[in-house]
Amino acid sequence: MSKEKPFPEYRRKLGPGWWLSNRHFTQYMIREWTSFFVAVFSLIYIYELSLFASGAKVDALNLLRNPGIIAFNVLALLFTSYHALTWFYLIGKIQPIKMGKTTSKPWQALLVNIVLLLIISYAVIEILVLR
Amino acid sequence: MPQVARLHAILWGVFSMGGFIAAFLLPVLIYLVGIAYPLGLWPVAGQDPTTSILDHRHLGTLFLFVTIAGSLYHGIFRFQSTLTEVGLARAKRALEAIGYLIIVIGILAAAYYLLLLNPSVLSLP
Repeated sequence: MSKEKPFPEYRRKLGPGWWLSNRHFTQYMIREWTSFFVAVFSLIYIYELSLFASGAKVDALNLLRNPGIIAFNVLALLFTSYHALTWFYLIGKIQPIKMGKTTSKPWQALLVNIVLLLIISYAVIEILVLR
Repeated sequence: MPQVARLHAILWGVFSMGGFIAAFLLPVLIYLVGIAYPLGLWPVAGQDPTTSILDHRHLGTLFLFVTIAGSLYHGIFRFQSTLTEVGLARAKRALEAIGYLIIVIGILAAAYYLLLLNPSVLSLP
């Protein structure tokens, strides 16, 4: 026998712009929208690789010099950097490290990971581009 | 743990790994390929960065594959989830299906093109 609920389930209906009503929600949504730039850059780069692989290297390089693509890439770098910074901060919030009686703070994780990001980026440039 | 829950946990685990890859490796790739090369900025001098990276055979190919595959997975997974939060909740299943299709095709295509560009990558370094 199924039990009937004593009261109807209430689900608050949210419109598409619900995230504009509060600063925290807006920040959250901007963070989520960074994924658009991450995904589209990846797809454009896969297309670039396809041009390289099919021998159309000149077309691939011309596409990279397109002002629209350059503008998109500048935006993509800004949003990806924002993703990186918020991701580092979240790591510190989700998984704080205990050292004796003290517990690490999110901003400490942010700082350590920014330093790590700079080291990794320089290592990539040094090993894969400059050598 | 039920199988569906286990699969769900694995998918979110891969998503999280993609988040790290997009945070640590993607910014430098975007800068090198999409900004430094077309604008002639440091450290790109002459040769385009993709060719320079692929010249490093195993390491370069691995870097490109991990960066692109991880970022694509993370980006699409998060983007389709974001769309459900801005009024497309009813299309959740369809968005997930399209999202996974793009991820699978994108990752396979990236692997295929990188293999074409560097066939020796399958042999030991």
